[in-house]
Amino acid sequence: MKKKIITLVAVSAILFSACKKDSNIITPAGPGVNDYSVTVNGKIVTVRNLDADTIIGMGGQGPYGAGKYSFFSLASNSRVSNSDSATSNWDLAFGGTTIRVNCGTSGPGNGGAYVYTGLFDDLTSVSADSTFKTDNAPAYAITKGSGKGWYSYDGPNNIVTATPGRTLVIKTANGKYAKVEILNYYKGGTTPSISASDSIKTYDSRYYTFRYTYQADGSTTF
Amino acid sequence: MIVYLIIRCKFAPRLSMTKTFSIILFSFLSSNLFAQKDSSGEIKILNEIVVTSTRTENKLGNVAVPVSVINKKTINQAGSLRLKDILQEQAGLNLTNGFGAGIQMQGLSPDYTLLLLNGEPLVGRTAGVLDINRIGISNIKKIEIVKGPSSSLYGSEAMAGVVNIITEDSYKKSLETNIRYGFGNPDKGWIAPTDKEVFKNVDFNFNGSTVYKKTSLRFSSNSFYIDGISYRPYSTLRVPQPIWRLTNQFHLNHSFSSKTNLNLTVRHGYDYIKQELSVGNLGSISNSYGREANSDLNINPTLSHNFNNKIKSTLRLYKTQYNGSQKLSFTDKPDSIYDDEFRQNFLRAENQTDFNWKKNRLAIGAGYSADEANSTRYDNVKNKKNNTIISAFIQNEWMPFDKMTIIAGMRYDHNKLFAAAFSPKLAARYSINKKISFNASIGRGFKAPDFRQLYLNFTNNAAGGYSVFGSIDAVKIINQIQSLGQISEIKDDFYKLTALTPEYSTGINIGSTIAITKKMLFNFNFFRNDIEALIDVRQVATKANGAQIFSYINIKNAYTKGGEAELNWQLTKQLKVSSGYQYLLTADKDDIKNINSKKVYTRNNDGISRLLVKSEYVGLPNRSKHMANIKLSYENKHDFFATARLMYKSKWYVSDKDGNGLINTNDEAANSYTLINLSAGKKINKLISMNIGMDNMLNYQDATYLPNLQGRMIYVTANFKLK
Repeated sequence: MKKKIITLVAVSAILFSACKKDSNIITPAGPGVNDYSVTVNGKIVTVRNLDADTIIGMGGQGPYGAGKYSFFSLASNSRVSNSDSATSNWDLAFGGTTIRVNCGTSGPGNGGAYVYTGLFDDLTSVSADSTFKTDNAPAYAITKGSGKGWYSYDGPNNIVTATPGRTLVIKTANGKYAKVEILNYYKGGTTPSISASDSIKTYDSRYYTFRYTYQADGSTTF
Repeated sequence: MIVYLIIRCKFAPRLSMTKTFSIILFSFLSSNLFAQKDSSGEIKILNEIVVTSTRTENKLGNVAVPVSVINKKTINQAGSLRLKDILQEQAGLNLTNGFGAGIQMQGLSPDYTLLLLNGEPLVGRTAGVLDINRIGISNIKKIEIVKGPSSSLYGSEAMAGVVNIITEDSYKKSLETNIRYGFGNPDKGWIAPTDKEVFKNVDFNFNGSTVYKKTSLRFSSNSFYIDGISYRPYSTLRVPQPIWRLTNQFHLNHSFSSKTNLNLTVRHGYDYIKQELSVGNLGSISNSYGREANSDLNINPTLSHNFNNKIKSTLRLYKTQYNGSQKLSFTDKPDSIYDDEFRQNFLRAENQTDFNWKKNRLAIGAGYSADEANSTRYDNVKNKKNNTIISAFIQNEWMPFDKMTIIAGMRYDHNKLFAAAFSPKLAARYSINKKISFNASIGRGFKAPDFRQLYLNFTNNAAGGYSVFGSIDAVKIINQIQSLGQISEIKDDFYKLTALTPEYSTGINIGSTIAITKKMLFNFNFFRNDIEALIDVRQVATKANGAQIFSYINIKNAYTKGGEAELNWQLTKQLKVSSGYQYLLTADKDDIKNINSKKVYTRNNDGISRLLVKSEYVGLPNRSKHMANIKLSYENKHDFFATARLMYKSKWYVSDKDGNGLINTNDEAANSYTLINLSAGKKINKLISMNIGMDNMLNYQDATYLPNLQGRMIYVTANFKLK
């Protein structure tokens, strides 16, 4: 029995260190709630449960949040405090289904974005003829609305789904390039089933899980 | 209460007229439960006379297209009250939920199955669905189901097939009544009928007919009550929704001579449904209460004359009217009124003349129809929308030799409102010997755009302000809104808005009937339906406030294909097994194109996108791949019967969970399920017979995907044959 336990410990130690080698969990990475986490795995960074103006109540116009965006820096793999919203310290801001880029009407940065139809892994470089759009409220570089940008909304069932095969190509506040794939819009990275209660669908929404690759050297290849 | 009735009614024949009628008021009527006894123990289904497949009388064993017949005995033994009850026991028919119960035949949506009452169309569809709960079946002789496009005879809607409900027309004196009491409680499973929390079902029938010289009259009345239930969205909280349905029918037949006959059928149906509704929208739920009231009138005189034994001509006149009305108030604002009205009026005059000569049977027909509707869902409830249809058909059945029948037919429908439709059909039947025969048919079906697709003018202010406009006015309305500067975006689909054309299908059915022994009959059929120019709802523009504007476009192409098989086996003189199975595959052809050109993605369990593999594609939503049924029935000399019926439906996909715009195996599905229904009956004496039964013995429930499926119900029926 004792031998078995020692073996187990040894095996798990090896496994654990093997994991640690190329995966680095940073928690918390900036201010956050619940199970917010950032994991670095080689070139790919995964952000889980980033709250994006989560629901605090129900009103006549439907559910509402506090009206505050969550700011995130792709360059530093970290959340940025809301007091820095008027700086170039952030690259993306999340509020409900709206994703802002640090440019135009959203911030002072040199950012921009467009939505690429295709797989994250297949996007190996930003092609030279790409046009980066800038935020010009109420229009945004990452187009708002169901089926237009990164998500589709099923009204009768009240569910937001991140459209598969969409990659957001981002020019950061400092003019570097990154590619982002939104994975999920609900707490824990799992979309509720249709039969889930409206309360779960509402209060578990607005939690982003996404992954990205940031090219720090300013080149257009990932 | 039932025992009390029996005692009273035993003496009924001796009571005065008034007393008899007072008893009738409390009791109910039935039906030749034991009339069709077959003592030979052989299967004689193939000798049944059917009319729907060719619009002429034919033995079931001689028709060249897939037809099935549900006769009165089957309906009565199953204890079915509404058309839905009996059709859900057929393996090849899938009943849909939403806007009532609709018929999905050979994988086509309810919009594409024509429902006939004595050969004339029923109207009053909501979102394409004709709710078959509306149709009581206490007074019907049989139901004929024809699969495959039948527009060559019936015109619009007969794309997937036709269900023809044929009412009782027996010409003899009779007086029958019956009453049924059913009870259950989905939570408790077992409950006493006297319990406070019981869900009740009371059904009451009275049928009487008389003959005076050459005139026969028949009257029948049905009243049905059920403690209906519905569910709040996303919850298992039940809301009572009591339903009353009344049907009265009058039938007259008069023979002027042995050659000339007049028939008149008048039917009136009325439904009253008390409603407590909850609508979830954008995460908020609004509750409302009110009622739905629908009425249905059908008047159908027909005059037929046999000029000689070779020529017969029938003139049919038909009027039907459907009024649907829903009135609701929001629970938190009792003075708010939501009023939804829909009225449809349909008139038809038609002649059909049959010629028999040598080896041919020729049918020629022509007709004129006027269809009219008005609704609060259109621009103005006072504006009546109308269409007129002039149609003509010709069909010839040719029997070149004994073993072969070839049927060729075509129909032309000229519409005032949209393009004309031409529907040909060719069918053949060949019997190798007395035991084996083959059928093959190919036909074209169509469905004309309905008034909703042409004229709907609906803005849902309770749900984000989206609008749906019918195709006729969509461009005009959107241009008006745009001139006010209130359109933020015009979609590509806007430029595809043109006059709607009918939707078309081409259906092929190939099958065989094999009498394995005298007591065992097997048949199978393979089908494929290719559907073109399906009308789809597409977003065509966006308002400045973000609300979407939708309209209708002929845009989709799809197919359904599969096979069905049926076995009837008389095991002993008393015991019979019948069983059916359907296998179904469907696809949207554009989906397949997109998958092949690698434009469709899905996600792995970890949420990472990848290309969809073709084998993951499911097809059209809300279709079960497998459906099966088994029925055991026992009947003995002592006028006792018992049945056990099992129905199985495999899982069906309901929504695009992974957001790729089509249905694949990563999406959300409803669970497969099995229903078991039991019944038994005994004729006690000449006057009385009793039935008992249990529906949904397993108490299967699914609040989300089968909100209208009652839990287990037990019932007792007392039948009195007074004359």
